[in-house]
Amino acid sequence: MIWNQEKIRSVLPHRKPFLFLDEVIEIDGTQKIVAVKHIAKDEDYFQGHFPGNPIMPGVLITEAMAQASIILYSLAKPEIAAMHPHYYLGKIKSEFFSPVYPGDKLVIETAKVKFSDYAGITDAVTTVNDKIVAKANIVFSVRKNE
Amino acid sequence: MSNGIEYEIREMVSNILEVPVEKLTPEVDFFKDLNVDSLKAIEIVAAFEKKYRIIVPEDDIPKIRNLGQLIEYTKNVTS
Repeated sequence: MIWNQEKIRSVLPHRKPFLFLDEVIEIDGTQKIVAVKHIAKDEDYFQGHFPGNPIMPGVLITEAMAQASIILYSLAKPEIAAMHPHYYLGKIKSEFFSPVYPGDKLVIETAKVKFSDYAGITDAVTTVNDKIVAKANIVFSVRKNE
Repeated sequence: MSNGIEYEIREMVSNILEVPVEKLTPEVDFFKDLNVDSLKAIEIVAAFEKKYRIIVPEDDIPKIRNLGQLIEYTKNVTS
């Protein structure tokens, strides 16, 4: 482990139950990171998605990839991240290949496409047991607190 | 060759901004006239970098305000 959840919380404004990263296990400079989320068997959303057939909603996998993208952005733009800006999703192109079940371990790899002071683009891939379950191209904006 | 680049860039920007090609005159201002925001700007830059396999320095992004300047920039960096 390179970053624990405490370190992740120092960058991400998200908190439980909407924090979807447990640890960062790999950092490749400012180009790529790999993060992990362990999907508990009793996550709240499994109660309704779906009763008797629990599957992690695709939007939450996308959210995990977006949160990993913010971590990567913070490494590339530490002076901006230190100001604790607001991060907003702008555009997502995603694909989902396999369901994610309770007990699965998401491994999220996100790579920089382009970052500026005001926005970022990343390519993210999520795997479970080395099998790709989702991919996304994520465009987000960064707004500094006035 | 120049006309080819002009056509390619116009098509690319038109697709990203979802603006008809006819509206994309060389002088129309991306930010003032077409409401390009930071998200659209970075999308254009990323598509441009991918197509021409170059890196656009961040400081150059605000200097490119219209199609004419983008075409001129492309000719300079690809020549």
